Formats: sequence, C-alpha cells, structure tokens
Amino acid sequence: MTFGSYMGRRVLRLEDARLLTGRAPFVDDVDLPGMLHVAFLRSDDAHGLLRSIDASAARHRPGVLAVYTASDLGDYWRPGPLLVPPPPVPGLVFHAATQVPLVRDKVRHCGEPLAMVVAESRYVAEDALEDIVVDVEPLPAVADLEAALLPDAPLVHDQFGTNLAAQVHQRKGDYASAKAAAALVVSRRFHYDRGAAAAIENRGVVASWDARAGELTVWDTTQAPIPIRNGLASMLGLGESHVRVIAPFIGGGFGPKIMMFYPEEVLVPWAAMRLGRPLKWIEDRRENFYATTQERGQIHDAELAMSQDGRILGVRDSFLHDTGAYDPYGLTVPINSQCTLLGPYVVPHYDSEFRAVFTNRPIVTPVRGAGRQHGVFVMERLLDIAARELGIDRVEIRRRNYIQPDAFPYDHEILFQDFRPLVYDSGNYPAALEKAALMIGYEDFVREEQPRLRREGRHVGIGLVSYIEGTGIGPYEGARVTVEPSGMVRVATGVGTQGQGHFTTFAQLVAEQLGVDVASVQVTTGDTRDFNWGTGTFASRGAVVAGSACHAAALKVRAKVLALAAPLLGAQEGDLELRGGRVAVRGSPERGLGLGELARKANPLRGAVTPGTEPGLEATCYFGPDRGNAASGVHAMRVEVDPETAEVKITRYVVVHDCGTVINPMVVEAQVQGGVAHGIGNAFYEQLIFDDNGQLMNASFMDYLLPTALDVPTVELAHIETPSPLNPLGVKGVGEAGAIPTGAAFAQAVEDALAGTGVEITEIPLSPSRLHQLMVRARGGAR
Amino acid sequence: MIVEGTHFFPGPREVVWTLLLDPDVLAKTMPGTASIVRVSDDRYEGTMAMGIGPITAAVFDVVITMTDRAEPEHYTMQIEGRGKFGFTRGKAAVTLAPDGAGTSMGYQADLVVGGKIAAVGQRLLDSVSKLMLRQGLDAMTRELEHRLAGGAA
Amino acid sequence: MNAQHPIEVTVNGTRHAREVEPRLLLSDFLRHDLGLTGTHVGCEHGVCGACTILLDGEAVRSCLMFAVQADGHALETVENLATGETLHPIQRAFHEAHALQCGFCTPGILMTLIPFLREHAAPAESEIREALSGHLCRCTGYANIVAAVARAARYGPKAPAADDAR
Repeated sequence: MTFGSYMGRRVLRLEDARLLTGRAPFVDDVDLPGMLHVAFLRSDDAHGLLRSIDASAARHRPGVLAVYTASDLGDYWRPGPLLVPPPPVPGLVFHAATQVPLVRDKVRHCGEPLAMVVAESRYVAEDALEDIVVDVEPLPAVADLEAALLPDAPLVHDQFGTNLAAQVHQRKGDYASAKAAAALVVSRRFHYDRGAAAAIENRGVVASWDARAGELTVWDTTQAPIPIRNGLASMLGLGESHVRVIAPFIGGGFGPKIMMFYPEEVLVPWAAMRLGRPLKWIEDRRENFYATTQERGQIHDAELAMSQDGRILGVRDSFLHDTGAYDPYGLTVPINSQCTLLGPYVVPHYDSEFRAVFTNRPIVTPVRGAGRQHGVFVMERLLDIAARELGIDRVEIRRRNYIQPDAFPYDHEILFQDFRPLVYDSGNYPAALEKAALMIGYEDFVREEQPRLRREGRHVGIGLVSYIEGTGIGPYEGARVTVEPSGMVRVATGVGTQGQGHFTTFAQLVAEQLGVDVASVQVTTGDTRDFNWGTGTFASRGAVVAGSACHAAALKVRAKVLALAAPLLGAQEGDLELRGGRVAVRGSPERGLGLGELARKANPLRGAVTPGTEPGLEATCYFGPDRGNAASGVHAMRVEVDPETAEVKITRYVVVHDCGTVINPMVVEAQVQGGVAHGIGNAFYEQLIFDDNGQLMNASFMDYLLPTALDVPTVELAHIETPSPLNPLGVKGVGEAGAIPTGAAFAQAVEDALAGTGVEITEIPLSPSRLHQLMVRARGGAR
Repeated sequence: MIVEGTHFFPGPREVVWTLLLDPDVLAKTMPGTASIVRVSDDRYEGTMAMGIGPITAAVFDVVITMTDRAEPEHYTMQIEGRGKFGFTRGKAAVTLAPDGAGTSMGYQADLVVGGKIAAVGQRLLDSVSKLMLRQGLDAMTRELEHRLAGGAA
Repeated sequence: MNAQHPIEVTVNGTRHAREVEPRLLLSDFLRHDLGLTGTHVGCEHGVCGACTILLDGEAVRSCLMFAVQADGHALETVENLATGETLHPIQRAFHEAHALQCGFCTPGILMTLIPFLREHAAPAESEIREALSGHLCRCTGYANIVAAVARAARYGPKAPAADDAR
C-alpha cells in the first residue's frame, strides 16, 4: 500500500495544548457536589492473622460518614477475578489466589487494606484511620524465594500447603544432548530485583451514583476502562449500559494501571451507591509503593551450551519468580521471561522451567517490559561470558547466532503470553547490529580508544546487546470513525491513553485515508460511553491493534464516501479522490463535495433510501491479530566507571530499533527515550528493598531513586523497518522497547570497563554501593 | 535491626539491677518516654515518642515483658511497640558483670521495625536508636551516681 | 472542626480571601479550594516537583507549604501562562519539541522554567539539565524537555507567530 501525507510524519500532538495549560482533566481534578473522601487503613505487618478490628471510635469522629471493614461488606466481599488464566502448557501447575477487597482473616503483604473510611475530607479520613484499633497477630514472613519452597516454610496461602504458585516447563529439542556435544558450557546464577513503575500520577477512583437514573459513573486511572466497566456492572448487579467508566487524561500507566479490580476500584463505587454521595479516593505516594502492583524479582540458574565456534547449541534455565502475595495476573510476567530469553537467536534446544512463588510482598503484575528484561539479561550475559571464554568478539558471537532475515516466519515452538506459539513474523537482526556497532563506534573503541584510555588509567567500556520484544498481541480492539456534518471526523476507540499520543497517531491513520487535515480528526479514548468493546493498553499493542482498527474503520468510511459521492458527482468511483476534506473528481476539483456536506446527504430526514444502506458516513471495525509480532532492536552504551566511587557515567547511548512501519517518528523516538530512562533507573538507581519481614525499607522518592535529567543521556536513535505481515499497516509495538535490554547493556558495559578486575555482573539493579562491594570483593578474592 | 554493645556503670551490680528494673527510673532516663508503669511482676507498659527523619513525634504504646530473670546477672525482655507510625518488636538480653568497683553491662537486642517509620526513616533508624540508647544509658549513669551520693530516689 | 485561619492570597492576579485549617497544604488549597487543578501532586514530599508554582516570582513546591504560609503573597500557577488561546513561548516550545507525553509533571516544570529563563537567556545544556534535576519525569527521559528549554530560550519572551520549520 502507498502512504499519503500522514504516515511516517512527525505530526505535533493534538492533545498538547490542553496538557500544557493545565486544563486536561485527570482523575483527581474531578469535583462533584457533595463529594466525600476516602482513606484506607493499611496493614503495617506483612504477614499476620487479623484477630480483631474495631472501628467504633472512628465512626464517632465528627466528619466521618462511614467506616467499612470486611464484615461490613457482606456478600460483596469476595476475592477478585483471575484476570489471566495460565496458558495451555502441558503439565502446568497453577494455584490461583487473588486479592481481597479488605482483609478478613489474614494479612499477606504490607499495605493490604484493612478498612475504608469515608469522610468530609481526606484530612479527616486520615485522622480517623488512627482511631481504628487493629489486633494483628504477626506471623513469620515469607521473604526469600528459595526458603519459601522449603518444607517448613510459613505459608502465604494455607489452602495450597505450599508457597508454589505455579510451575511451568517448556521444552524444545533435547538439551541434554546439546550439552553433551558442547565445547563449552557456561552456567551462572542471575538475580533481577523489584522496581516500581512509579508513574508520577498515583492511582485514583471517583464514583458517582445517580439513583434516579440508575447510572453509575466512575473515573478511574485505569488502562482498561471497558473491562473495569464490565466487571463493576457484574459485581454491582447493574447492566453494562448503566455503568460508565472514564479514564480521562492519565499521568502515566506503565503497567500497574492495567491490573484490574484493585480493592479500591471495587469498593469506592460500591460505597458510593450505598451512601448515595460521590466518593473520591486518591492514592498517595507512600500507598503507591504497597497498594499498586510492581515487578520483577527473579532468580535464574541458567546454562548455555556452545560449540567451539560460538554457536548456541542449547540453553537450560531454571528460575524462581516472585509473584508477591497473590497472582491475579496469572503467569504473564514469567512466561514473557521464558520466551524472551530466546531473543533473536537460533536456539535449537531449549529447556526452561520456572516456579512462581508466593511471598509476603505486594502483588507482581506487568511493569514496562513485563518480564522480558529478565530473559534478555540472562541470554545476553551468558553470551558475553561465552564470548570471553571462547575468545570471540561480543558483536561477532551475536552475529553468528542470529535468525537470518530470510528465515521468517520463525517458529520457536514454545507458547507465548497470548497462548499462541512463539512465532516471529519479521525482522532483520544483523542489520540492526551492524548499524548499532557503527553508530557507537564499536570497532574503533575496542581496537584503539579503549586500550589507549586504559593506559591512562581510565575505566571505559562498551555494552552492546540485542533483544526481541513480543508486541501487538490480541485479543482485539475496535474503533468507530464518523464524519460529522461539520466536516470534523470523530474517532472513538476502547483503549485508553496514558501519554503515548493516541490522540495524534490514530488521527494520522484516519486522516491518511479520508484525505482530511489531521487537526480535524478528534479522537476519544478511554470512555466506555463512546466505545463498547475492547481490552486496554498493555503489552505494546495500542498502535498495532487499536491503530489497525482505526485504519480499517477509516477505510470503510472511505469506501462509503466513494460509493455515495460517485453517483452524486456523476463519476466513477475510480475517478474520485479524497483530499483537503473533500471528495472530488481527480483533475476537476470543482466537481466535488465537502465530506461534511456528504455526511448530511447521507442522513436524510425524509424520503426513501436504497434498502441495505446505512445512514451517515460511519463505520466500526475490529482488529484481532492471529498472534503477536516481534519488534526488535540493539542497544549500545558507553560508560566510564570511577574506580574509587564506583560511580558510572553513561557517555553515549545508541538504540537501533525496529517497530515495523512507523506512524509518527517523533512519538516513537520519545517512547524509546523514555523507555531507556526507565531502564537506566531499573539498572542503576531503583530497587525496592524489602527486609526479611516483608517490610519495604524505601517507600518514598527520598530513598527510591528515579533517574533525573542529570542521569539520562539523550539517546541516539536509528530505525530499521521490517513491516509486520500480521496487520495491514505493518506496525509493531514500541512502548516497552527502551526499557527491556538496558540492564543487560549496562552490565556488559560496566563489566567491560572493569575488565581485568575480576568483576562479573550477574545481578540488576546495581547501585554504586553494590558495585563498589563487587569491586572490593573482586580485588580481595581470586578468580 | 540489631542493637548491641557494652556500657560501664560506676557502681555495684545490685544497685544497677534495681535501677534498670525501676519503672520510674526508666521513665526518667529513656529519651522520649512519657510514662512507664509496672503492671505486674514481669510486665511493664508505657508510652514512648521518637523522632526519626521526617516524622517528628512517632508515639508508640510499649509493652515490655521480662522473660528470663536471674538477679543480678541477666534478664531478657520481649519488647512490643505499636503506634500509628508503625511498630517494633523483638527481644533484648542484658547481662551485668562485676568490673572492679563498677559493673559492666552487655546488651543485645534484635528488633523488627515496620510500618511508616521503617518505610521512610530507614536510613536513620540505626543512628537514631543508637543515639537514644546512648542518651538513656548516660542518663542512667547519672541517676546511679546520684543514688550512690545519697540522693533520693 | 479544627480552627480556621483567615488568609488572603493573590493567585494569578486575583485576590482570594479564605478561611483555612492550619494544616491545609498549599497544593490542596490551590487545587480544591480554588479549583486550579493545573498544578499536580505526585509525591507530597517535595521530591518530584510536579506541584511547583511561583511564590512572589520564585519557584516553590506547593506540597511542602501550608496555605497559611502563603498569606499575603502573590502566587502564580500554570493556568496563568497562556493568554487566552495563545500559548506562552515556553508552552509553545514544549509543544514543538514534543517535550511532554502524559503531561502530568509538565506544569511543575514549566513553572520552574519561568524564573530560570528569566535569569538565563542562553543556557548551556548542562545548566538546563541542572535546572531540571529537581523534577521527575517517567515518560520522556528528559531529552525533549532539554531541547524545549533551549528552544524557549531562543524565543525569549515572545514566540514567533508562525510554526518553526520542523
């Protein structure tokens, strides 16, 4: 297909003015007459038996309208739904345990909600929290992943008799034979630890019940307004058409806002209905560290079997995944780890087994990268170690193992998070590698610059890593395109927007087909009143799935325009073109009609129409890909390490990235830059530190360090485009790409900078103090 | 959180023992203690306040239970403190040995700290608790000297 | 009901006289009492910078102040930057440089930049990054924000009428 004026263009964002002037509505901006405020009493203990809870004093505090504990919820109290069932992997073990709205018998993580207070102001509500008398009998906490699986470990969920949440074994080929034939076997233990998504906007829910109309309106910082609407309707006994969920402007999602049916989400609307007054709950930052999901503790024992000339014969990986106190999101994160480990490489034999473990820590659900970073870290580190031991250059060893550009579709023969076989659709990994190596100046650095700087006593290094990101998975999304009589084009879709520019990119797709100015296309996302079907923004799928639906709907409207205009203009459809908001005969623009005028003609008030026609210029289309596609890329960074302070300075950062067809390069580049910043944070600054009692030690930005403008370099970015055959636009997702391989690149670069000191990096994150520790240890011990 | 160390008291063991177990002396000498009452032979209850970082007055309801007493050599305490800013619990063991004319006290406490105070004051917990302990022991030493000089209890 | 204190603050040129509790945060006062929701709250402990406003022309974190402390002072929030439908040159520069994604941290950054650009007519990149270091952004990775500041500095107090060539 040929693209006209908007595909691939750096269109400035249509949504900016509202955001820049402070007029864009976020959930906490909602203000309703008679609105009351909610605060939650949260457990200080990570594990314990709730013996009693007495809210009578709180109820008597002036300004408090209600206090609810688990017993006050009656039949409404029930654990949340299992959002993602496990994939159909043979022999899979899965124990489902989902979060409860308020603790009834047992506390299972710090911050679990014990009571809900409704008061005239948040200040009074928080005062009332202190009036509630709670008796929790502490239990020993389950904190260590390996200890959790020992026979005498305390149990997070007594009913299972174990802390094993799941066991999944995926295999292809026969690893044992690969190992037997190997010239080199590299085996290591790798640690990846938890980080918070830390969107600058915390979560929030506002609910308003109109008893006379029987309608519930909910504003929610969710990435999935339609599923929330459907779930709330079902839970509250309302028809879906009587519940409206609005995700207005959202201050960053990054994953935890796609976790659904959080306690607050199910309780605030319920209480609003009971009290007959609008209620608002806004999470504060400290709550966010416990009450909003996070990611990503894993321990991998991995092994790589290599031939003498550096070819991968097989990989075996056995890992533990910390799922936290409950597992409502199923196995998405560890399955992603399991699949993404294969990367862009030919791996003839693969044996991957993981055990997900319940712990007394906050719930783990996808956060930007969603488990892919672990797979990338393990594979890239194993390759780096193998390269060193075989005496093969790091870039060369990757080159030798790539899936070649003519090998697509490439079937890895295991199951991905969308329950479909992991099949890569398209890609050109060697080209990305060459480009990245060239941009970062790899050859010159290794040959000349690094040895020279080393002689001057400086510790400089390069890291260059390769990755695949499975994106654009189903099940589906939909869009409706309508040309209004004014000539404005309205687009509605079921996904939400949390800053990724849907208002502009989707408008570009539609404007492209209808020949209108992109500024005349108004996109609505995140409002269930405007669109009825969809699943949400997650897994880097918005542009692929919702974008393809917008595109399809626009094509259909285009067809209607041509079919309607041709007889009116006395021409053949093939002679007409859509341009500048009009449909006209090619070469005779005066023989034409404005699209708005045509829309009016398509909606007569009187008279007869040809049977079978639809009114107006409107179409609704859905898109569900057969499976996810494979975006890919190479990250390269240059670092300098201060041997005294272990401070790491990133001097250059290069990304060569393939997300297929690019709708708006400006948006894509910014997504990658933002993702890299997140990745740098995860690699070097951010770590959620829990003690053995499940207590979070750094629940504030004073101690949980997000990278600032001083810590993140400007990424030098290049695109490679291998369009996806799985959707008509050829696009692939990009939202998480920047964040996925950063840890691996970081580890390689720092290790390279410290080459010869014996420091080997097998863990992420790596704070300066931890790096210093590793350096001291390496100096002391023999290697 | 482990807190351990030694302290020298310039007085005989028996007097030190009495002071250490006297609720009024404890209330007077331990920083931030508003009150401590001995409710039974083995049990003390009271209120304490600490300032840690951004939290200027974290008030705790404290229960101390003596579990293992061998006068005047050693005792062990179970400590439970709970307040809106969090909780602490654990065990502390105290030993007293004659040291010339005075007494050498050894202490070892293993405490769990949780809630807000642990979440936002983590960096400071160690130093603040050591400081409070130092202040308490110094005040206790002064009380001992006062008693030995014939001062009233 | 706690004791109420009378305060008088001028916000974006308009005088407001109110009675407030001493513990009411200035950020809450602006957002909920005055309905100026452009200023956002990200952390309530003064680290993220999203709540930054101007107090007598200097950038301050409104989550670290009580409303009563603003008594008698002149405050400026993001709502004051644009003139009708015309964006302030800084806002214009942010738009053109794609320096915002979700936009939640943006108003705070804009307010920090007002006095910064007043005092630095041609800031170097290192100075810009230093000025931004008190603001946390999770979306953009800062690169475009840095570019926007450089662009805004070039614009000076007035942005050009037509769009720059992209």
